[in-house]
Amino acid sequence: MITFKEGNLRIPKWNRKVFAVAGGTTAYKKFFPEYKLEELVMMAFKNMLEDNDLKKSPEEVKGLINCAVYGDFADHFQDQLLCEAKIHDYLGLDPLWNFSVKTGGATGGAAVLAGALAVASGYANVALVAGWERMDEVDTRTGNFYISTAACKDFETRLGRIYSSYYAPMANRFAEAFNVSEVTRAKIAVKNHLYACSSPYAQQPGKYTVEEVLASPMSAYPLRFLECCAMSVGSAAILLCDEETAYKLSDHPCELFISGGTHTLRVADRRHMEVPLLPNETPGMYDELYGKADARYPGFESFLASRFAAYLVYRMAGIKDPLEEFDLVELHDAFTISDLQTYGDVGLRPYGQEQDYIESGDAYYINPNTGKPGKCPANLSGGLIGTMHAVGATGIFQAAECLWQLQQKYDKFHGDPKIWKKWGKTKPRDWQSLQIPKKSKQAMWVSHAGVGSHVTVGILRKSW
Amino acid sequence: MKQVKFIGKATKIRQTEPRTVIEWPRSLTHIHTYGMLSPFFQGLKEGKLMSTYCPNKQCPENRLWIPPRAHCPDCHTEMKWKALKNPVMGKVYAYAQVVYAGIGVELSTPYWQVDVEIPGLATIPKSYLLSGRPYIGMKVRAEFRTENPTNTVLDYCWVPVE
Repeated sequence: MITFKEGNLRIPKWNRKVFAVAGGTTAYKKFFPEYKLEELVMMAFKNMLEDNDLKKSPEEVKGLINCAVYGDFADHFQDQLLCEAKIHDYLGLDPLWNFSVKTGGATGGAAVLAGALAVASGYANVALVAGWERMDEVDTRTGNFYISTAACKDFETRLGRIYSSYYAPMANRFAEAFNVSEVTRAKIAVKNHLYACSSPYAQQPGKYTVEEVLASPMSAYPLRFLECCAMSVGSAAILLCDEETAYKLSDHPCELFISGGTHTLRVADRRHMEVPLLPNETPGMYDELYGKADARYPGFESFLASRFAAYLVYRMAGIKDPLEEFDLVELHDAFTISDLQTYGDVGLRPYGQEQDYIESGDAYYINPNTGKPGKCPANLSGGLIGTMHAVGATGIFQAAECLWQLQQKYDKFHGDPKIWKKWGKTKPRDWQSLQIPKKSKQAMWVSHAGVGSHVTVGILRKSW
Repeated sequence: MKQVKFIGKATKIRQTEPRTVIEWPRSLTHIHTYGMLSPFFQGLKEGKLMSTYCPNKQCPENRLWIPPRAHCPDCHTEMKWKALKNPVMGKVYAYAQVVYAGIGVELSTPYWQVDVEIPGLATIPKSYLLSGRPYIGMKVRAEFRTENPTNTVLDYCWVPVE
């Protein structure tokens, strides 16, 4: 039974402010034989140093870095222990301290959190956070098995050997508990595959209909292939610094807040508890949903780790109402169902009403119901379903996309035909900008592991 | 002078364009212990579903655990074992059909994976349905693979009782 004591609920507070100033990425592909892993990380690193309008030369910026945190999900995939040593050397950063972080699908978010700790504590003025995954050294079914070893090896892995089979029970339970049609899930897939069409980095862009999503092959019932994330190769990077350095390097820095939460690896072991309330929620509002004798929160419907991370970071950043205050969210849509579940955890809707975030049109760049901009668009990057899930890079890629959006650089990083060409693609004739409005102030992203074992929620706030 | 010989197998080149890609085959066996949970897996082979419970009377959690734990997560006391009374009955809490499984799958696909609520348990363990199609609330009975056991969690499963 999880009962909190006073210390458990302390709201994190940086010893000094932390800012993000630059991001970098590669394209993402299922097979990437053109480059070795360290070459890909170098490309993301160079993209970060050279293409972000920083006020110092790449060499000067590199000369300010004094700590590096690397996100690397699975040694199984890279087949290279101490991969971070190889990458760090390749980037020419020895003997600066580096370490890698591993928290499954939340590895990228956890790496950003660790980089922020380095800056906030004063260990570093400038911290590089870079992540990667090379998932093409094994065939897809072997890759699926590797990932399934991030379920409990004694009690879960053998029962599916694919991660979709650990989310599918949640999808069935969620549908029944909250009366949700599979069409809502399919709409998420349609949306994110579509947004990926605007990204030169995207691995799975596509203009699908709801019917096509529902007719696509089944991975684990009720989750279809088009509802599942990509198995990717690629790398992303972001540069974090203290306040003074941030303004020396950039005219457009964004302040960073980030917190994490965790929960049992096995969903089986999640015992009922009281809902930790977000600032926009009121005591008693979940009495009907979770007050019954046999009720279980978070059960199979929700993620305590996401809720706890949001609980902390919203208070850390002074967020009162996420739907009103965020201009963009990048959620961890590894599966349509995990995306849908998260809407309640992070307070875009109350628990039980998650589907309304999609059905209302709030989650869209252009609300399909009104033809006007969506209130709080989600996953304009194309997300994990449309663009990438090179696991160790994902939470960093999402942060870079949020940063670029707030800096009004969506077009610069997605619309330049040279970027499309660099990754062997042609910019589509009907390319559409997904830049959020200039008045936008804050973006939030979720980095999520396991079936909700580790989650970070990060916020970037325009600071100029 | 004795020379060092290459005793491996020549690495196969899979492709040379746009870059050289080689194969690196291997076969591994991990030596894995069930540790203090060994009675659970032994129990399955004997037709028993073994759970653990915290014997600390002051502990707020007095329910049974499957998957079992050797130590209570709340008070860290070493747990004790209790076999559930046969026939073990439960109710399907959630389910999924495994259609496309990862490599090495040991059950014939497609099959139904079920998360079953068992009275007295703090947990909702995952297993599979031997036959039939599950729905939430379906009553099921545990069955054991006492002959030709797999020596894994696959040594028990559920069958519909309706």
